[in-house]
Amino acid sequence: MQTTGLLLKKRIVTLFFLFALGFFLLGGRVFWVQFVKGAEYSEKAIQNRMRDVPVESKRGIIYDRNGQELAISVSADSVYAIPIEIRASGREKEIACGLAEVLEMDENKLLERLTKTTSFEWVKRQIEFEQSKKIREMDLPGIGLTEESRRYYPKGTLASHVLGISGIDNTGLEGIDYYYNDLVGGIKGRIIIEHDAVNRPIPEATHKYIPPVDGADLMLTIDESIQYITERELDKVFQERQAKQAAAIVMDPQTGEILALACRPNFNPNNYNDYPASNRHNYAINDSYEPGSTMKITTAAMAMEEKVVNEESKFFCPGYIKVGAETIGCPDRKAHGSQTFAQIVENSCNVGFVELGLELGLEKYYKYLRAFGFGKMTGIDLPGEASGILVPRNSAQQIDLATMAMGQANAVTPIQLITAVSAVANDGILMKPHLVKQVADKNGKVIKKNEPTVVREIISKETAKELCLILEGEVVNGTGKNAYIEGYRAAGKTGTAQKPSPTGGYLPNEYVASFIGFAPANDPKLACLVVVDAPQGYPYYGGWVAAPAFREIIKDSLRYLELPMEQTEDSEELVEEQKNKQVLVPDLVNLPLAEAITTVKNRGLEPRVSGTGDIVWQQTPKPQTKLDRGSEVIIHLSPFEKGEEGSEITVPDLQGKSMKEVVKILADLGLHLLPEGYGLAYEQSPEAGKIVTSGSTIKVRFQAIGE
Amino acid sequence: MRLKKGPPDFVLFITTLTLLGIGLIMVFSSSAVTANLWYDDAYHFFKRQLIWALIGITAMIVIMKINYFRLKDFAVPLMIITVICLILVQTPLGVETKGSSRWLNIGPLGRLAPSEMAKLAVVMFMAKALDYNLENIKSFKRGVLPFLLMLAFIGGLIYIQPDLGTTFAVAATVIFLLFAAGAKLSHLGLIVLSGLGALAAAIAVAPYRLARFIAFLKPWEDPSDKGYQTIQSFYALGSGGLFGMGLGRSRQKFFYLPEPHTDFIFAILGEELGFIGAFVVIALFLLFAWRGFKIAINAPDTFGNLLAAGITIMIVLQAAINIGVVSGMLPVTGITLPFVSYGGSSLLFSMAGVGLLLNISRYSTYR
Repeated sequence: MQTTGLLLKKRIVTLFFLFALGFFLLGGRVFWVQFVKGAEYSEKAIQNRMRDVPVESKRGIIYDRNGQELAISVSADSVYAIPIEIRASGREKEIACGLAEVLEMDENKLLERLTKTTSFEWVKRQIEFEQSKKIREMDLPGIGLTEESRRYYPKGTLASHVLGISGIDNTGLEGIDYYYNDLVGGIKGRIIIEHDAVNRPIPEATHKYIPPVDGADLMLTIDESIQYITERELDKVFQERQAKQAAAIVMDPQTGEILALACRPNFNPNNYNDYPASNRHNYAINDSYEPGSTMKITTAAMAMEEKVVNEESKFFCPGYIKVGAETIGCPDRKAHGSQTFAQIVENSCNVGFVELGLELGLEKYYKYLRAFGFGKMTGIDLPGEASGILVPRNSAQQIDLATMAMGQANAVTPIQLITAVSAVANDGILMKPHLVKQVADKNGKVIKKNEPTVVREIISKETAKELCLILEGEVVNGTGKNAYIEGYRAAGKTGTAQKPSPTGGYLPNEYVASFIGFAPANDPKLACLVVVDAPQGYPYYGGWVAAPAFREIIKDSLRYLELPMEQTEDSEELVEEQKNKQVLVPDLVNLPLAEAITTVKNRGLEPRVSGTGDIVWQQTPKPQTKLDRGSEVIIHLSPFEKGEEGSEITVPDLQGKSMKEVVKILADLGLHLLPEGYGLAYEQSPEAGKIVTSGSTIKVRFQAIGE
Repeated sequence: MRLKKGPPDFVLFITTLTLLGIGLIMVFSSSAVTANLWYDDAYHFFKRQLIWALIGITAMIVIMKINYFRLKDFAVPLMIITVICLILVQTPLGVETKGSSRWLNIGPLGRLAPSEMAKLAVVMFMAKALDYNLENIKSFKRGVLPFLLMLAFIGGLIYIQPDLGTTFAVAATVIFLLFAAGAKLSHLGLIVLSGLGALAAAIAVAPYRLARFIAFLKPWEDPSDKGYQTIQSFYALGSGGLFGMGLGRSRQKFFYLPEPHTDFIFAILGEELGFIGAFVVIALFLLFAWRGFKIAINAPDTFGNLLAAGITIMIVLQAAINIGVVSGMLPVTGITLPFVSYGGSSLLFSMAGVGLLLNISRYSTYR
């Protein structure tokens, strides 16, 4: 017993030393963690507990060139929730119900979010003032309000594609607001506060405030009034023609400053989510297209500069030209006959331009193409600019050169085209297009200035001046007549381009109608490009679709800029000549036949009656068309009035006829035409020889052969 | 045997009360934030702990005054009650929290943890049984095996709650007590080995346990999950440095460190009172061990030797495990710090244990 007792005591003493040793080890370990590693753990612990609360900087204001506000920053309250506090309050239902009512949100979905196991939830950001006032008054547990800054575009849809959009977190997402985000956005400030694990500040917490730096203000080159005029006209043509998309750019050719830039379809940057995302696509910058005849300006400039052509040059157009195995024709294979250089521009004669292109040769043509800036981004200060697509130089054949010369084959962006044509208007000097004039900080100190930048000289001043006059003639006498502006000297060129089909070749009945020009022709102040993609209805030619819009934009803009009306002799002569030579076609529809004939004759035009009846049913050309004195106006009489309905007519063979001829033939027979495509008729329905009743519609497909 | 009663061990008494006092202050400091949020009353946990402390002190004094020679008579009934309670926990009478059934509802005072009762019951029961059977201690079959069977039964009931940490603590207490009683080292080594085998089996059954188990070795590999508690505990201790951030100024108790007033109260203590505070607590437990084992050695009989040693082992062992966990030396077990951590049952039975120690100290043979 004694031995066991002794052993027991020994063992207990052993145990004590064992535990003592354990406690010494523990003490050492605690000392290690607290003292040796203390600084490291303490630092990590602080980092772990610090929460950065971003303090939004206010975005800078975007002004137009005259100081009109286009984009501003407004403060708005945002509602957030601390779910753990809401759960603790036990008033979840009540809180969700109250908030849902004020914020017009779904109560059940809101309840779900308010009771999530997160530490912080945004309920709704950037709410209306009235809503925030109500929420403040409700004083709900776990619900807080914080001030956030929000982009506001006071002019709504105006210049939307230039300004772009800003996201809920106050950063620029598109457009100028994105491109200049680093400057306009400012620098976010921060409040660094020590927080508990559920994100609430700890009492007596360490904190630090780093104030935000507000964004710089931008002054655009855009002129709000010219932008407004441009958008008004673009809207008109876009809606009337039910086009897929459209764009218009107005530029100062002498500085490269963009005065207006608009795209359709449009959107309102204040609530851009209500529009399809595709509406925000900037057709003027981000897309390339085959420009068609507007590109002939550059071909003409090259030919003149390289002395391939001069005033005396004569061209003969038989309606087509053979390039290797291929045949390129003028529209409707119309033979323009013998022409001067100025006339091939006015007539937009494909044959003439193909000849010029072939004469220049691939080497020179590509040299100039690149000098004009095609195939390369212009460097305009907007995001997502496309570079256009040129036929690769190495694989380019004669046929490519021929089609390039008339504006097909190569794809360019609208901004490239207007920049190139502006060079012609600017004595041959290519300027860099830009949208921002200057950037100023909040104290008004200019921190960045975009001076007009010369890219390069492409053609001589003389060539440029001469080409300007020829282009002026195009507006007065040529396909661009609809761009003629009374009192101002406008110069320009139409374009009706075929659209490449995704499956190869060209689409049979979709076109891009455009007009590019500038004014006044002797001292260009404004250059303007109007591009309408896939206009519906007939005629779809650039001269009919885009030229009127160009005319209105330039006319109203020049008046707004208070440019004096042209008083020079040169101009007066042209106007006088124009007055003598050209008359407007009167509206004859629904007039009695006799009255219609008198009206036409009084204008100095030749009436030609087709069909039978008493009342004018249709007329060719349409009212307000400018025609040379002595031209024919066809008056179609309604075949129905005569009660001839039901009489049998044999469908004629229309194959190979031009549209004009087809119109005439069918009208004479009392048949209606449903045209499709353009060029020469190659397919019809019903077929020739079929018997139809008077008043039936004949569907005719025309095959395009270039403009 | 009839001995004259002396005064109780004053040092142990003061040591216990000091730890209890530190505990009350720390429970308040570490729980106030959580209590305020969950119960809208910063004193929620403190008030309950205070009541349990008063109950515990009362129990300590009452037990201290019981006739020493009648203490043996409580061993078996306490064991029976413990077993009944441990079984009741598994019935619908048990309160289930966080997937474990560890408590019995006992009305206004809240809940009772039978596993805490089991620690004391096992010690008392073993002291009595060993006292009867000490001559057989060298025999594995007759001296050691019966206690292993008891351990298997009681430990099994705790293990199925599930509460691996407490099971381990009870098992360790049993083995240390067998050691104190004079069991052969070869037998004990065999038991430890088979214990490790059982541990391996437990891990094999649920492999997630291994990851949890060894996470304390490499907490930075999974700082947001398995290593989270260890890392937050390091942050707390490290922030404390030598002198601490000041009482009440812990940052880690703001929901970073889980269980700031129970399992990890020592970390908050280290954060607020620094290494100085932590050292004092460790020193107090060392002092407790010294006085406890001293009482064991000087106890009037074998039962007293074993009972005092067992109680001391029980309390000091838990303290060591807890501090080991908090300082990242041991895997996270869920063992609380005696007298300091929040928890009524633990406090009550620890105080009862001290009551027994003080009772034995009054009959000390060595004055």
